[in-house]
Amino acid sequence: MEQDKKGVDRRKFFGALGGASGVAVAAAVSPLTATVAQAYDPGSAETKTRYRESEHVKAFYRTNGYETLKK
Amino acid sequence: MARMKFLCDADRCIECNACVTACKNEHEVPWGINRRRVVTLNDGKPGERSISMACMHCTDAPCAAVCPVNCFYTTADAVVLHSKDLCIGCGYCFYACPFGAPQYPRVGNFGSRGKMDKCTYCAGGPEADLGTAEYEKYGSNRLAEGKLPLCAEMCSTKALLAGDGEIIAQIYKERVVRRGYGSGAWGWKTAYRETVAI
Repeated sequence: MEQDKKGVDRRKFFGALGGASGVAVAAAVSPLTATVAQAYDPGSAETKTRYRESEHVKAFYRTNGYETLKK
Repeated sequence: MARMKFLCDADRCIECNACVTACKNEHEVPWGINRRRVVTLNDGKPGERSISMACMHCTDAPCAAVCPVNCFYTTADAVVLHSKDLCIGCGYCFYACPFGAPQYPRVGNFGSRGKMDKCTYCAGGPEADLGTAEYEKYGSNRLAEGKLPLCAEMCSTKALLAGDGEIIAQIYKERVVRRGYGSGAWGWKTAYRETVAI
């Protein structure tokens, strides 16, 4: 009888432990608590516009278009 | 705002591989990596077509969607770049990319890979513009110099176009209009189901 009582206590202990860890795992994988993936942001200085229609670029457009053939 | 795009006029490409060579030389790309390559369809047969392929700088880039470390970012010019400091060389982007753009240096035996390398649209990387660190990791930054990617500028037959998407689309449109019927213009067969004389 004494041993049975001990056994039950032990089961309760492990049951409680299992339940607690299950809650912890559920919290960790829950989509509600997960952080949203963020793209790498190197800062505004590195993502700013670098393209500009310089004379060099305009010459590229001019020589690739058919308008050069008309001249 | 201008969106940077590549457009390859397959009627003009002669598979000379000058774009590939120009890219490798401009950026000192290591052995075994090709940021750009020329793909030929129906090689040696009537109707052969070649097209120069590299990173197409997708608007909704699949490489960025699958990256486990989120090392990709898109600039204001719509150029997709990545940080080699964050990249772990996992290879997910290679499987996600429909163009086979991501490349990996072989860093040892047994197939171990290094950081991913791909076309930067000659726009460098997250390091300071035109610096040594940027050049060593990503190659030259021609966009910051007011130029366009060298592959397109080098193209002898003017097949490869680069620059503002709207402008190069207009240039291509003019070409297709000028060629007229029977030029093998893209989409003609799909639209009209007729045999195209080349």
